[in-house]
Amino acid sequence: MAQIQLVVVTPEETALEAAVDFVAVPLEDGELGVLPGRAPMIGRLGYGEMRLRFGSQVDRYFVDGGFVQIADNVVSVLTSRAVPAAKIDREAASNQLSEALALKPNSDELFESRDKLESQARALLRVARG
Amino acid sequence: MAKARALDKRRKSIRNIRKITRTMELIATARFKKAMDRAHAATAYTRRMTQLVADLANSGLEVKHPLLEPRETTDRAVLLVLTANRGLCGGYNSSVLRAGFARYVELQQEIPNLELEISGKRGIAAARFRGYVPSTTYTQFEDRPSFEEVNVLAERYLAEYSSGQLDRLDVAYMQFENVSRQSVVVETLLPLGSLGEEPAEENKSQLQYEFLPSAESILEEVVPTSFKVKLFKCLLDAAVSEQVARMVAMKAATKAAGDRIRQLSMAYNRARQTQITGEIMEIIGGVEALNN
Repeated sequence: MAQIQLVVVTPEETALEAAVDFVAVPLEDGELGVLPGRAPMIGRLGYGEMRLRFGSQVDRYFVDGGFVQIADNVVSVLTSRAVPAAKIDREAASNQLSEALALKPNSDELFESRDKLESQARALLRVARG
Repeated sequence: MAKARALDKRRKSIRNIRKITRTMELIATARFKKAMDRAHAATAYTRRMTQLVADLANSGLEVKHPLLEPRETTDRAVLLVLTANRGLCGGYNSSVLRAGFARYVELQQEIPNLELEISGKRGIAAARFRGYVPSTTYTQFEDRPSFEEVNVLAERYLAEYSSGQLDRLDVAYMQFENVSRQSVVVETLLPLGSLGEEPAEENKSQLQYEFLPSAESILEEVVPTSFKVKLFKCLLDAAVSEQVARMVAMKAATKAAGDRIRQLSMAYNRARQTQITGEIMEIIGGVEALNN
């Protein structure tokens, strides 16, 4: 059966390189599932869960925004952080959430940065919960 | 006797120094390898990023973003100078600082509100000595700068730039070309002139990409990300160059210590021989005197 080559790179390292049967990535406006033979595309990622399946095994990762590029059955995920779901620091995430909620923004930029922090923390917690 | 003993003492202390510099050289070599691996791993990201930008440009999208446009007037600027926290690395710190301070003086003429930001204890001390007051200092970037730390810094610059508190950002650092070649560069990171170098013609893919949610939205995110990556690259380069400089400096120091030991050994042996000869002469002289 055809497989997809999945490459996850962060600015620090190549976090993951694997052949998988199926991968789901969190786009900014919803999840995108990719099977072998997907038409070429470039997408903007949001915060959320990336699932990859090979055989009967399913791995879950948290990706921290970035981009995905699909061409010739190669899925490249460019993100600033890719954390396996089991290794997420829940405490730090819930701290970030409560800090974000406690902020009192008074300008557009501050609102934006608070929203970013909040959605990042919520996505982290969601992925950690499974 | 006194002279020979003094020489021996000096030789011993130089031996100790050689031991220390040799160890430091080995440490720097190990750190350099690690830093180099990290820098190498980071290129995978940059390469893919460049490819993505090229594909975006190929799709006929006009690459336009506020971060790419130079401002009409530059009132507020920041000059970031990346130095090391530690010395004993040859001309590394001084050459970065020379270039950085030269640019600082030059920019001061043109830009009314120029702020100096320095990373590294050496640079902070040098600025204090010359009477420059840095607005922000960083000492947390060692030989393994993490993207997370750099991200915080980059986010702040981006926020300041987009809200108009910052019109220009320059970074002075030691660029790493290869092991035997590093050069000081002062680069303007904001506004970003272009998004990476243009790929070669044959590299251009003919694929028709689908953009989700839209090419504009992707571009909106690509530009700040490539700024962050560029800044991260500066810090990685600086870290690698520092270790190379320290390696070379310590190698030279070890060699110089070895040469000095050889010289001192020769002088010591000569002094000892002279002393022995002198003593024999004295005894022979005494014997001769008794015989007469």
